[in-house]
Amino acid sequence: MTGDVRVVLPLACLGGGAFAVYLVARFVTGRNDLLALFTAGAFAAALTTLAFLQPATSANHLPTWGRFGAGEAFLRADPAALVIIGVALGLGLLVTVYSGRYLALDQRYETYYPLLLLLVTGLVGMVLAADLFNLYMFCELMSVAAYVLVAFRRRTRTAIEAGFKYLVMGSVGTVTILMGISFIYRETGQLALPPPLSPPMGGMGAPGPWTRAGIACLLVGLGLKSAIVPLHTWLPDAHGRAPSSISAMLSGVVVQSAFYALLKVCLGLGFPARGLGTLLIVLSLFNMTVGNSMALVQTHTKRLLAYSTIAQMGYVLLSVGIGLRYDLPVAIQAGFFLILAQAVMKGLAFLCKGVCHFYRDATTIEELRGTAAHMPLVAVAFSVALAGLAGVPPLAGFVGKWFILQGALRSSDVLGYVGLAALLLNSLIALGYYLPLIGTLFTSPSASPARGAGSEGGRIRISPWMALPIITLGALVLAIGLYPGPWLDWTADAGVYLLALGTRMSGE
Amino acid sequence: MNAETIWLVTILGAPLAAALLLFLLRERGVRAAGWIAGLAAALSLVGTFALLPALQRGDAPALDFQWIPAANIRLSVHLDWLTFPFLVTEAAVTLLAVVYTWGYHRPDSRTPIFYALLLLFAIGMSGTTLADDLFLFYTFWELMLVASCALIAIWGEGERRGAVALKYFIFTHLGSLMVLVGLLVLYDATGNDSFSALQDAGLRAGVTLAPGLVTTVTVLFIVGFCVKMAIFPLHLWLPDAHAVAPMPVTIMLAAAMLSMGTYGILRFPLSIFSAEQMAPFAVPMMIAGIVSEIYGALMALAERDIKRIIAYSSVSQMGYILFGLGTLTHDGIAGATLHVIFHAIVKALLFMGVGLVVRATGRRQIGELGGLGRAMPLTALCTGVGALAIAGMPPLCIFDSEWLIFAGGFHTAHLGLSLLTLFGSLLTVAYALWFIGRIFFGSRPEGLTIDRLPRAMVAPTVLLAALALIEGIFPAPIFGWVDQALALILGGNW
Repeated sequence: MTGDVRVVLPLACLGGGAFAVYLVARFVTGRNDLLALFTAGAFAAALTTLAFLQPATSANHLPTWGRFGAGEAFLRADPAALVIIGVALGLGLLVTVYSGRYLALDQRYETYYPLLLLLVTGLVGMVLAADLFNLYMFCELMSVAAYVLVAFRRRTRTAIEAGFKYLVMGSVGTVTILMGISFIYRETGQLALPPPLSPPMGGMGAPGPWTRAGIACLLVGLGLKSAIVPLHTWLPDAHGRAPSSISAMLSGVVVQSAFYALLKVCLGLGFPARGLGTLLIVLSLFNMTVGNSMALVQTHTKRLLAYSTIAQMGYVLLSVGIGLRYDLPVAIQAGFFLILAQAVMKGLAFLCKGVCHFYRDATTIEELRGTAAHMPLVAVAFSVALAGLAGVPPLAGFVGKWFILQGALRSSDVLGYVGLAALLLNSLIALGYYLPLIGTLFTSPSASPARGAGSEGGRIRISPWMALPIITLGALVLAIGLYPGPWLDWTADAGVYLLALGTRMSGE
Repeated sequence: MNAETIWLVTILGAPLAAALLLFLLRERGVRAAGWIAGLAAALSLVGTFALLPALQRGDAPALDFQWIPAANIRLSVHLDWLTFPFLVTEAAVTLLAVVYTWGYHRPDSRTPIFYALLLLFAIGMSGTTLADDLFLFYTFWELMLVASCALIAIWGEGERRGAVALKYFIFTHLGSLMVLVGLLVLYDATGNDSFSALQDAGLRAGVTLAPGLVTTVTVLFIVGFCVKMAIFPLHLWLPDAHAVAPMPVTIMLAAAMLSMGTYGILRFPLSIFSAEQMAPFAVPMMIAGIVSEIYGALMALAERDIKRIIAYSSVSQMGYILFGLGTLTHDGIAGATLHVIFHAIVKALLFMGVGLVVRATGRRQIGELGGLGRAMPLTALCTGVGALAIAGMPPLCIFDSEWLIFAGGFHTAHLGLSLLTLFGSLLTVAYALWFIGRIFFGSRPEGLTIDRLPRAMVAPTVLLAALALIEGIFPAPIFGWVDQALALILGGNW
């Protein structure tokens, strides 16, 4: 096996870390904080290796790893994948630190941290995979880890129910993916996803009937994983019932990574970029509308946030769709910038919700009343996250909205303008649930029973394990909004790369 | 760093620093909060006037940084003649509102946050007027909304404050989104996010866009800004927000924030397009102005809550301004700009008067009031001056600006519309006199007691009443500023 070893290092850190942490957990039992530190170390190591990989990767140079003789590469780094990986590792690190206290009331630490690491391993492998086989394997690894983590609090009935629903829906998705892959293999006899500027899989001609059927299956399977309406029904349950730290990962980056896999597979198999863009724009209308309207009527905070994830996916779909349809790298870049911004904001929102649950046993929106009086830090951070999601300047979400609008305005036909109108309308609808939620945080508690040591009326001291990630994410939401330059540069190559991946059909 | 730059930074920096300080101090700053906020607001006003000589020399003080290089977005502020009248209005209203708050607001542990949000609201407004690029403009534009909405949601009067704040936010955000799309279309079509550059192009021949695009952009801007100006039928947020907001916030909303819509219309469609490009919009603007003027006045007559009466009067007054802008004549636009300043003085005065009455009696329904003139002579005098001023009585200040607006109307070919505005102003006289008569004259209802008023609430009221008279007699200096601003609008050839 040859190639650029930097590509495989993040995977090695995470996968190796998973086993190492499990081993440690078997020796030292009952030390949640220690395990959290070890896991955070694995994430930090993976992030460090990413820092070496980043400069070597650009739209023109894609480091690969693992050539088997004349065969194709095993893993291939590309700029878009690195954005997703960077987001996943960063969020993973913070979620781990957060879990150092959040999990203290649960017992089975020895499975939680390895599963978290395996979840991210699967995610990183999936976006790096250079052929369909690896993509499937890593996708399955990610999904299985996610099923277990959703049902992690197995003593509660709802967790098992949500995990089971997720498992059934997710398995349908992975089976559909597998079927699609077999269709494609039947016709082309290969599984490799070719890099840009090379003919698509199966030669220069248009894809044959089996390949087309295969692409359709992959679209459905990966679309299900990326919560594209009408395949989104599992998400509110899964994200609404999982432990908050896991919801943060699932809503923040897992769904988005499946969407990137969908883009990579469809474009790599020769699905015309324009067609894919059109499809995505149409789907985005449903995602935005369904997500926002359903979020309006929720009474549980986490379900509200979960539906808002569906809506936010709609914004990403719209932006990337516009970029592919009208050949605008800026719009795709905006989509990836939005993925980054949403990961930070949605992650922060779920973590804040987790703190409210941990200290005050707040599940419904009503029970969040009086958060500001007991935990001002959390209330402020939560509001920053929600205001950011609503696109209020100068927070991160606004910069994303600005660039999406700019992309949508450059579209030159009716569909683009319909998308634009839908986006504007939806950002108004979204205010209808973000603002009352912020308002609830700051209203004085009426009769909500509070739990925990000395929580009646007084301030609650939040453990530094939880405060640190919340402060970091809150600062990031502000920093990305106030100084988006470097973050935009980071996502710039993603747009160029995806368009290059899509234009190879012309045969140049 | 020369002196001009320092003053320019002070205008925004002093309130910002004070707001951050107050957020940090929290409960520890309860006693100092009012002074800190007052000092910051005063510095901001001093900074504005300190830049006047530079403007008179023909300079345009500016600050400019690279912000997002990838998208060619800069962070720049500048001051020109178009900005100046609005900036002065905004800074002065803030200072008076802060002073009024000293008496109005009973200190508690959240007082520093109240002052901090007031200052942020003020920064949103002065930032909007000072911003020289689209991104910064919109950021401040929304800061204005967020801060004022928080003030209403937390300190509003009555149980419905949450719902009112939500309605206010969503309604005005609708306007903001239209403005945002307009800004982005403009940015995309010209590749330029700097106002000064757009304005230079506008002064030469009007920014050239595809013909359909000019219409789109202008409609987006005018409708979007009309939401902020509360022009009928986009005014729905205003009566509730004004009635529920605490009095200092109402003063800032009515006297300063409404004028931001006017500033937007002057800054965008009017200063970047030529008179020919704007001509098709003249009559619709004039008609919308008249409708708003008459509707607002009728609603003011129909209202029973004294705060809502004055709130509807704003809808009516903004109608005059839109009419003046719509004439597209020198006199009309000068009158409209002047009216912004004078309306700010008078509207702040009237709301302060209402606040004094409410504070003294604890009542807000006009049917439960009456005969207060003898018990509260000073308040009656000041409020009376305000009411007469809003009725357009010479020699009070609004007479001058209305005169100009009507004169502008008669310069156009639409005499019928101009006559309608003139007669519509009779309704203003009606509600103003009725308002004064019902509150201060007649017999005093049973059981109406009068509390002592804090001096910090009375002093700004008296000052404003004096100002309304002085400006009415000597409008020349302010008119001079406005006249300079007109050189920047519609190509500058009058």
